[in-house]
Amino acid sequence: MPSNKDDGGWKKFLWDSEKGELLGRTGGSWFKIIAFYIVFYGCLAGIFIGTIQALLLTVSNYKPTWQDRVAPPGLSHTPRSEKSEVFYNRNDPETYLPYTKALRNFLAKYGEELQRDQMKFEDCGVDPAEYKNRGDLESDIGIRKACRFSRSLMGPCSGTEDPDFGFKDGTPCLIVKLNRVVNFLPKPPSSNESIPEEAQPKVQPNVVPIYCTNKREEDAGKIGEIKYYGIGAGFPLQYYPYYGKLLHPHYLQPLVALQFTNLTMNTDLRIECKVFGDNIMYSDKDRYQGRFDVKFSITSL
Amino acid sequence: IGFYGRSDSYRVATTQDKDDRSPKKKKGAKEKEMDDLKKEVPITEHKMSIEEVCRKYQTDIVQGLTNAKAAEYLIRDGPNALTPPPTTPEWIKFCRQLFGGFSVLLWTGAILCFLAYAIQAATEDDPAGDNLYLGIVLTAVVVITGCFSYFQEAKSSKIMESFKNMVPQQALVIREGEKVQINAEEVVGGDLVEVKGGDRIPADIRVVSAHGCKVDNSSLTGESEPQSRSPDCTHDNPLETRNLAFFSTNCVEGTARGIVICTGDRTVMGRIATLTSGLETGKTPIAKEIEHFIHIITGVAVFLGLTFFILAIILGYSWLEAVIFLIGIIVANVPEGLLATVTVCLTLTAKRMAKKNCLVKNLEAVETLGSTSTICSDKTGTLTQNRMTVAHMWFDNQIHEADTTEDQSGASFDKSSVTWLSLARVAALCNRAQFKAGQDQLPILKRDVAGDASESALLKCIELSCGAVRAMRDKNKKVAEIPFNSTNKYQLSVHETEDLNDNRYLLVMKGAPERILDRCSTILIQGKEQPMDEELKESFQNAYMELGGLGERVLGFCHVMMPEDQYPKGFAFDTDDVNFQTDNLCFVGLMSMIDPPRAAVPDAVGKCRSAGIKVIMVTGDHPITAKAIAKGVGIISEGNETVEDIAARLNIPVSQVNPRDAKACVIHGTDLKDLSQDQMDDILRNHTEIVFARTSPQQKLIIVEGCQRLGAIVAVTGDGVNDSPALKKADIGVAMGISGSDVSKQAADMILLDDNFASIVTGVEEGRLIFDNLKKSIAYTLTSNIPEITPFLLFIIVNIPLPLGTITILCIDLGTDMVPAISLAYEAAESDIMKRQPRNPFRDKLVNERLISIAYGQIGMIQALGGFFAYFVILAENGFLPTQLVGIRLNWDDRSVNDLEDSYGQQWTYEQRKIVEFTCHTAFFVSIVVVQWADVIVCKTRRNSVFQQGMRNKILIFGLFEETALAAFLSYCPGMDVALRMYPLKPSWWFCAFPYSFLIFVYDEVRKLLIRRNPGGWVERETYY
Repeated sequence: MPSNKDDGGWKKFLWDSEKGELLGRTGGSWFKIIAFYIVFYGCLAGIFIGTIQALLLTVSNYKPTWQDRVAPPGLSHTPRSEKSEVFYNRNDPETYLPYTKALRNFLAKYGEELQRDQMKFEDCGVDPAEYKNRGDLESDIGIRKACRFSRSLMGPCSGTEDPDFGFKDGTPCLIVKLNRVVNFLPKPPSSNESIPEEAQPKVQPNVVPIYCTNKREEDAGKIGEIKYYGIGAGFPLQYYPYYGKLLHPHYLQPLVALQFTNLTMNTDLRIECKVFGDNIMYSDKDRYQGRFDVKFSITSL
Repeated sequence: IGFYGRSDSYRVATTQDKDDRSPKKKKGAKEKEMDDLKKEVPITEHKMSIEEVCRKYQTDIVQGLTNAKAAEYLIRDGPNALTPPPTTPEWIKFCRQLFGGFSVLLWTGAILCFLAYAIQAATEDDPAGDNLYLGIVLTAVVVITGCFSYFQEAKSSKIMESFKNMVPQQALVIREGEKVQINAEEVVGGDLVEVKGGDRIPADIRVVSAHGCKVDNSSLTGESEPQSRSPDCTHDNPLETRNLAFFSTNCVEGTARGIVICTGDRTVMGRIATLTSGLETGKTPIAKEIEHFIHIITGVAVFLGLTFFILAIILGYSWLEAVIFLIGIIVANVPEGLLATVTVCLTLTAKRMAKKNCLVKNLEAVETLGSTSTICSDKTGTLTQNRMTVAHMWFDNQIHEADTTEDQSGASFDKSSVTWLSLARVAALCNRAQFKAGQDQLPILKRDVAGDASESALLKCIELSCGAVRAMRDKNKKVAEIPFNSTNKYQLSVHETEDLNDNRYLLVMKGAPERILDRCSTILIQGKEQPMDEELKESFQNAYMELGGLGERVLGFCHVMMPEDQYPKGFAFDTDDVNFQTDNLCFVGLMSMIDPPRAAVPDAVGKCRSAGIKVIMVTGDHPITAKAIAKGVGIISEGNETVEDIAARLNIPVSQVNPRDAKACVIHGTDLKDLSQDQMDDILRNHTEIVFARTSPQQKLIIVEGCQRLGAIVAVTGDGVNDSPALKKADIGVAMGISGSDVSKQAADMILLDDNFASIVTGVEEGRLIFDNLKKSIAYTLTSNIPEITPFLLFIIVNIPLPLGTITILCIDLGTDMVPAISLAYEAAESDIMKRQPRNPFRDKLVNERLISIAYGQIGMIQALGGFFAYFVILAENGFLPTQLVGIRLNWDDRSVNDLEDSYGQQWTYEQRKIVEFTCHTAFFVSIVVVQWADVIVCKTRRNSVFQQGMRNKILIFGLFEETALAAFLSYCPGMDVALRMYPLKPSWWFCAFPYSFLIFVYDEVRKLLIRRNPGGWVERETYY
């Protein structure tokens, strides 16, 4: 009867000593249902793992099935920062330490001493050159050699002479790379039409140019000169294509170092950098696809 | 009758009564008042002399009240109208919909969303709009489903509006010696009122003079016959005495004058109405079930939500993130569309039932009939045709059966006998009833008759078997007539004969059989007059007893051709001072009448019984009649005996019979009042076939409460005002659409448009079907909860990119799942649902642990795997292999990381990988649609194979296409990437979940096969929901 249910019903549900029931089931009943679920989930896990294995069989080791989302590549920079802002106080090393540390860490793998192994690396020249084809992805050549890219190419931004990467002097460096995409061949611009006038001098053969300028009209003239370091001050074609992690484990992607030599202090400056190429696209939503913008705010007080 | 005797102690003077009702009431007074109302009527005026009554009300028997006095009383007592039952204001009803059920949980989610957004807005320059957006969507979901339920409910309650009769009643009162027609609302106590045939009685009145006045008390007491009114007190019980006429009953014929003794809510009718509206009705069974289910789901949601909130904090997530997880878990756990689905399913059933003449006022009542285990049915009008019909005749020393069916399909008797012709002639001539004009094209049984019930029955019977009664009456002109009165107990008339050459007069007489027999010296047998001998007298007695024992009202008929020498043509018959022969007549025969059962009722009662429903008859009528009808319709089934029957058969006193031997019992209202609660329970528990006769409205209520105390779900049918308290108290009250009074319709949850008990069976069937189908619908809807929750849990625990977002969850719950879930309401029954016992409300829950086990533990898990497989396929094909995903979340969701490496060494910007993530959400969503295809097919049946059940449910097939089309639309429609962050899928990704969909189908078919193969086995005990 329902009236008896209220008093002690809960306790009785937890442990019913008369029937030997725990939570409404006897031990045997619990055993059966638990055993059932173990077997059931075991089978499900087996089936799931089976289908995942089948999936792995269908994907290539060298190249993902689809690349329409990762290409055209993004343009990323080091040091990266929250909300793409770089702000620090020249006179307080604590404020720019994270930036310099990130740059040092990033450039560490570009150290010349790491690129000496002739089996793994080869020289691809210090001038921009044609694409360097190392055979098809699927061919059985195996691991491909990587082009050397020494950090010394970064000039003052290499960190060897100036461990502060210019941050201390108010001339901060930013290292820019074009995101890696397997088998992707960036095409230099074939005409000058889509390129802003100031950037046109940067167009040269066998290099994907990069050009930075003020994002906002009102910042015009406050940016000062920007120096570009790297092979051809852009992304040289001999570093492409990339053969993927498996075939190209030592690959070093080409870098461009930007040094802002004459930034106006104590103000917010928005700088936009863009790479130009026939197969480089920009997106309204993705602020890092083929371009990025960064806000500098350096105090010198 | 006797029950009213109990009221002695409550019989306080009305003045004192009025003091009790002083406007200032304390708390608890209300409860006392309810108890008071359950007791009997405190009227004493019928026992006072007219002078005393006049004195009490300071009125005058000739002049009536003075206008000043009337005005004073009107101010003191208020208008003579029933206080309408308190109605819940619309906005409260709306709020109830807005904050009931899952709404509270969703509101919490929405508020958390806004809170999270506020925190983000306060701490960041450029906050992401996600939370604001989700908060708005959640709010919209709650408001829209709330509005939807509200309008559904408003629509069904609007049905009642049509029944309201707003025509103001008029009353003829005498004030200051002048007759004035006033609004019935202005009538006050002490008013002298006059009523005539056809009027509605304006208030409770003490009759001071009457001329052939008859009132129809059926709406008050259930007695179908009009009763005469006179100034004399004939009974202590106010309801039985002749000198009171009651508010809102009808005066059928004659005129009467009386003094108003009670008005408005203080009238007998008013007390019943107040009692009715004051009764608290419990929740409907389905409401309890849904509440139970909401508790389970809310419990799971809160438990999971809080667990993961705490876990998230422990794992080092920020408060904001933990709150966002909490929102996600709540949204995933709550089946947002389910309550709307349930409402739609109930509405569809209600519509289907309305087509079968069951009009449902309260949506939830749709299911109640299905779980009903006891039906307390009123007799008159529900089980019977509510029309006196000649059932038997006795002539030529033999009982003949007349056809009582509604469509005259029954057997007929030998009409060739001369005696029959004579009997028919007497019945036709000695009869004041006549058809109302202008109904010649109607079938005889449908025609309206002016006259009392017995005479109408005779008229119709003769018209049916012998042709036009009017022609017969025209040929035999009436020359004199003595109407029926209670002292003579007969009615006679004198007619000319048809034969123009025969100048004799024909005297015809009918009346109480024993009185008629006393006046007869001969009897007509086979057309020949024979002297009445002892043998024939005994045979008459036997026939009379037998017909009386059938609960029929028996009338005797006799005639005589008056000798021409004594009564020549033109003889002046004096009916006041009878100057002609009224004895030594020739007995012709007996005719007996009953209100016969409806044709479909015995079958319906049989179906109820095989469906495990106990049918109890509760009537105000006499026990003998009640028992006869109960036997006739199978409420007392053949071969079952009452205690009295056993006693009679064994020839022993009733007290020696073991009551346990008798399955059936007939209980008189008088006995009922002496029963203790235990005895009452004992009767209800130990007798399967029960008839309550001579019950008062209050007793009906006690019977219903008794059944409910034993755990039964009780349906009550009734049409009169006297039934309305029981209708209200019942789990489901069923009122009659044609004969029902407004008050009863007001109190009921369901209205039988054709007044036919058989329609209830349809209702039971539909109710049971919808309960089964709701289970299926809920099982279907709940299953998709698991693939909605698991992504969140894995996201938190193993730090993979989120596989399914909150918006996509809402798209499933409120989009693709809706139509298939609703379509399950159209599913045909798997087996004969009318052959099983009604569900036990304590044990057979709508949602039980087995349903949860199947939906959450088994099918849901397979579905989740299907979704995850699609998710892994998309990420792997884009470069992120499964092994790399674990732990990637921190970088994945970091906006500043724009060079995240995948398994191939490629680098992804934030936005690029987010698009892939949202594509995964879309694919997960599509996969759920794909696995839900199998689920809806699997949920079609609980025991049978789909191959046995077939795919005849067209709505379900439509639902399959609809959800697929909707999923495709959401994925491919341009602009969806902005609106819902859903992206187009590669065609191959649609097929990821196919194996899992197939697995669900096979798994469940095997499970059901095992259930069918091993009835009562482990599989059934653990998984049959």
